[in-house]
Amino acid sequence: MAEQSKSHSSRRKSSAYSNDERHTSPQNRRTPERKSSGTTTRTSRNTSTRTSAPRRTSERTRTTDRYRNENPASETLRTTATRNSSSPRKTTTVKGKATVKGKKRKNSLIYKVTKFFSIRDGLDRPFFLLVIVLLIVGITMMFSASYAFAYYNAGDSFYYLVRQAGFAVVGVILMIGISYFDYRYLYKLDKAILLVAFLLLVIVLFMPARNGVTRWIEIGSLFSFQASEVMKFAIILFYAKYSYEHFEKMGTFKYGVLPALIVALPTVFLLYLEPHYSCIVIIVMLLVVMMFIAGVKIRWFVAGGGGIVAVFLALKIFDKLQYAQERLDGWGLALEENLSTDMQWKVWQTMNSLYAIGSGGMTGLGIGQSREKYLYLPEPQNDFVFAIVVEELGLIGGVVVMLLFIGLIVRGIMISLEAHDRFGMLLGVGLMSQIGIQVLINILVVTDTLPNTGISLPFFSYGGTSLVMLLAQMGIVLSISRNANIEKT
Amino acid sequence: MFQAISKGIRKFIQKILQSRNENLIAFRTKIFMGILIIVGFGVAAFGRLAYFNIARGEELRKRAYSLQLNDTTVSAKRGTIYDTNGNTLAQSATVWQIVLTPNNFETDEQRVFVSQRLAEILNLDQNEIFQKTQGKTYYAIVKRKVETKEKDKVLELCNEIEEKYGSITLVSIIEDYKRYYPYGNFASAVIGFTGSDGAGLEGIEYQYDSYLTGVSGRIITARNARGVEMPFKYEQKADAQDGNNLVLTIDEKIQHTMEKYLKQGIAENKVANRAVAIMMEVETGAILGWAVEDGYDLNDPFTIADPTVQAEIDKLPETQKEKAESEALSKQWRNKAVADTYYPGSVWKVITSCMGWSEGTITDQSTYTCSGSYVPFEGARAIGCHKESGHGLQNFNQALCNSCNPAFMQIGQAIGAEKFWEYYQAFGFSEKTGIDLPGEQSDIFFGDGTGAMQPIDLAVASFGQNFAITPIQMVTAISAVGNEGKLMQPYIVKEITDTDGNVVESRKPVVKRHVVSKEVTQKVIAAMEENSKTGSAKNSYVAGYRVAGKTGTSEKKVYNADGSQQYIASFCGFAPANDPKVCMLVYFDTPLGDSYYGSSVAAPVFANIMGEVLPYLNIETEYTKEEIALMDTTADNYIGANVSEAKNRITAGGFNVIVKGDGDKVISQIPTAKSRLPQNGTVVLYTDEESMNNDVVEVPDLTKLTVAEVNAKASYNDLNVSIVGSNAQGEGISYSQDIKAGSKVKSGTVISVNFEQDSNYGSGVM
Repeated sequence: MAEQSKSHSSRRKSSAYSNDERHTSPQNRRTPERKSSGTTTRTSRNTSTRTSAPRRTSERTRTTDRYRNENPASETLRTTATRNSSSPRKTTTVKGKATVKGKKRKNSLIYKVTKFFSIRDGLDRPFFLLVIVLLIVGITMMFSASYAFAYYNAGDSFYYLVRQAGFAVVGVILMIGISYFDYRYLYKLDKAILLVAFLLLVIVLFMPARNGVTRWIEIGSLFSFQASEVMKFAIILFYAKYSYEHFEKMGTFKYGVLPALIVALPTVFLLYLEPHYSCIVIIVMLLVVMMFIAGVKIRWFVAGGGGIVAVFLALKIFDKLQYAQERLDGWGLALEENLSTDMQWKVWQTMNSLYAIGSGGMTGLGIGQSREKYLYLPEPQNDFVFAIVVEELGLIGGVVVMLLFIGLIVRGIMISLEAHDRFGMLLGVGLMSQIGIQVLINILVVTDTLPNTGISLPFFSYGGTSLVMLLAQMGIVLSISRNANIEKT
Repeated sequence: MFQAISKGIRKFIQKILQSRNENLIAFRTKIFMGILIIVGFGVAAFGRLAYFNIARGEELRKRAYSLQLNDTTVSAKRGTIYDTNGNTLAQSATVWQIVLTPNNFETDEQRVFVSQRLAEILNLDQNEIFQKTQGKTYYAIVKRKVETKEKDKVLELCNEIEEKYGSITLVSIIEDYKRYYPYGNFASAVIGFTGSDGAGLEGIEYQYDSYLTGVSGRIITARNARGVEMPFKYEQKADAQDGNNLVLTIDEKIQHTMEKYLKQGIAENKVANRAVAIMMEVETGAILGWAVEDGYDLNDPFTIADPTVQAEIDKLPETQKEKAESEALSKQWRNKAVADTYYPGSVWKVITSCMGWSEGTITDQSTYTCSGSYVPFEGARAIGCHKESGHGLQNFNQALCNSCNPAFMQIGQAIGAEKFWEYYQAFGFSEKTGIDLPGEQSDIFFGDGTGAMQPIDLAVASFGQNFAITPIQMVTAISAVGNEGKLMQPYIVKEITDTDGNVVESRKPVVKRHVVSKEVTQKVIAAMEENSKTGSAKNSYVAGYRVAGKTGTSEKKVYNADGSQQYIASFCGFAPANDPKVCMLVYFDTPLGDSYYGSSVAAPVFANIMGEVLPYLNIETEYTKEEIALMDTTADNYIGANVSEAKNRITAGGFNVIVKGDGDKVISQIPTAKSRLPQNGTVVLYTDEESMNNDVVEVPDLTKLTVAEVNAKASYNDLNVSIVGSNAQGEGISYSQDIKAGSKVKSGTVISVNFEQDSNYGSGVM
């Protein structure tokens, strides 16, 4: 291993900083060798590297190595020598400051800020900024949406804002904190976290029901969180690690599909007891995405799809889908006239969501000007906050929010693909997929494209613990970015 | 350019495919990302968003508004209907409407509480109200037209709700109006009534609904889903614009008079199928009175007015009741004067006369022979005259006075079918009159509507049989005869005024066309006047006025149970003959009493009405000497005078005197001062208390006597009589008296005795 890292650093030192080399070399190291005949000679050279767990020792070496490199003086030297084209703006500033200020530079604010976002072990700045922007926009819109609801139900218009903002601050601190931790600490925690998640899913069944469903675990009267949130993360982590360990065998049923089923079936069963169908959908989709990325053969997805349909039909035959049915009954009927009183109640939320979207027009009614939020749209701060966004900011506002999410997802996935190791890649892509799937399903529910199943919109929907968890996950992505070979400006 | 792009795409695809070989994770991740972003976000999410935002935006916005905006309708006050002198015939008064907001109910406990209390207050079924509290609507009417007393109780309930449940709107009270008809059963066919929603259903209320209704106001406020006003300001207010008022040409006094005598006529002649009287101002076509009896109470139009009809319906089995009831109601509401057609009968002879004079086929020299029947053309069946012995040789006036059918068949033949049809159209019978009342029917003429008539048709049409017209057409046409031949458009609304009394629209009389010349009408009027004086229309005589008219007895071609023909007895005429002011048609459908003739059923009613209306209209009287002799005067005051002096004064005035008691001075008299005293009447003077108190006379039966007999019998009993309905010649037979035979009165009391002409005097049957 020492040899390995040595060669690594020596390569870097000498000539590795041409752009091509940066992109190809780490990837090549990770390229699976299962199709040895098809892969190039370069893969065979790296056969032995990433079959075992990532070693912190080696990493440390690498890190110190990197710090050495980060020394502004040497950086300057190196830049002048080899990196004429890559990032001239940043390097010149650093060069200027560094040369003038000399020894003070390590304590200077500029140095700290620069380091925070610096190329190699700094944060990924676009991703960080996108998170912050989404958080600000999200909280603002959540506040606007909840204003009336909070006023009439809690007697204080700021009720939700205060709480959400508090959690956001905690979450951002946690996010930055986690970003400093090496995500590879998680490598060994996967089973523990999975166990905890299962325990929580069992515990939650004994919690008092809200609206006829038991999804929340309450700690005191202040904190409550959905047990399934933990499960989502646990499954991503578990499968990232598992597929990392057995990457070459992912094509087989035993390694590619079976463990996913072993984890998924009890989860689905426990979620079914809550019931929390939307979460089942998300977890299944997440697993599918993870399996797909990890290289499971396409035929299993076809088979799995058939299996899900079969299970669904079976449930239907045994009349156990009552809750989902009730929700599904109103699906697509939101704008029908002459609905029965019963159905009116069922489609009420979706109907008002569509009213809000229609009322917004191209540019919206203006921020704070929503009418639907005045108790027409039930709980506008939760799952249907996006409808209020469109009502207040118009189609343009809605598209901008969607673009922000797309930007975040694309950037997150780019970071993950440039991760230091395959574990990071799979973990990062899994985390970003979760956001992508959740955002998409939320918007499709809000527009009555999918049944109203209770999926929140990340960064926007009210929910303190889930926001903290979300930001913590973003922290993991940032942590990956610290080790990723990606341009971070 | 295109090549560059395709080259770029190819390069891109190559790059991705290459990465598949190099790095499976990256490759599959990119595919997933591409599907998520392009298909998921780009197509599905954006597509659905844009669909609802743009394509259906307008619709959804409107629906959202209707949900979010609390749209309270402020009822406009319906306009008032006045008679020509400003008497109120119909007006709206404020009442209340109780409304629920079902969406605001949160618990069944609230629903039960509210429905129970409302049911108590408003006397409704609790379950029904409970049903209304379900659902997601914001507006459910519980009860309309709630009086203020009940409204106050509901208001208390509202306060209670607020105390109990906080400030959520569950029950609200909205101003509403209710229609009142101060005269009740009065001009019901003209005025009509409104339904529970305030819209006019019949008569003027229906015809002028748009003018009367006004424009409802609205208060639109933004409300949140609990009905509390939103923090942001949004309020639009449109005040209700009250409806316009209508001023009718109807005169309440005339209308009352007409209804009174029409009812009397119905009762006396046992009229089976209602009666109509229309009075029209000759020069303008304005309707002064329009009575359709029996009418119904406008304040309660949905109750069957005739108790016998109701009793009959009550006897029916349940299943047929509803149908029978609705039939009875629609008959009750039917405006017979425009909605029912009838054979005009002999009244039509006036029109035939106009045709003849106008075409020159009637001259002063024309003579007509009546042998009791007439064969209108060769081979036809003989058509009889009502006087079987025949009227002999007659000139035109005599023919009209006799209402001689053979004479008019001859006149009709001389006119010819073609001209007959032309005049028929000219007098407005082929078209609706355009009276501003709903439900006007068209005439029913022979043939195919081109006016083609068979010879037999022409023969019977000459005296008004076998074609049907409406009463309003008849009175309009006869009115044209009185109006120098100018056919007027009849109308019933004189003015439309706004709430401040400003005239919005004012109706000007419209001459439809000049049908016949003034000279022609003068000839016909002369004959009609003679008819009313001495002819078959003698019963239409009104002392002091020159009445011109024509009777009619039309066969309905409908038969009674015993096989006898049903008739319509009508009379149409105008007064004064030298300058006609008012024209009136009186029409009794199916009199089943002693007589069915127009002369004995309709003419006296005409006379009675005209006798009151003409003086009321300040139309100058022209009395003949004979009439003056029959006229009542008023008694002077003799109380306090010496007996001898009083005696002298009375005899000097041409009256008789009876003195009762032994005193010197008059302490009391009958008739009392200023009260009615007939010519040649008797004044009774009392000189002491005892004689006054002991003086009692029994009233004798004065009916079925001639005028002379009545006078003799009365004076024998020391009573006075006032003769009503006899003509200037003093002809006629008494048929009723205002103080019943056998009742005890003081001597000298004036008893009104009604006379009619020989009830079997010839009229205009065939």
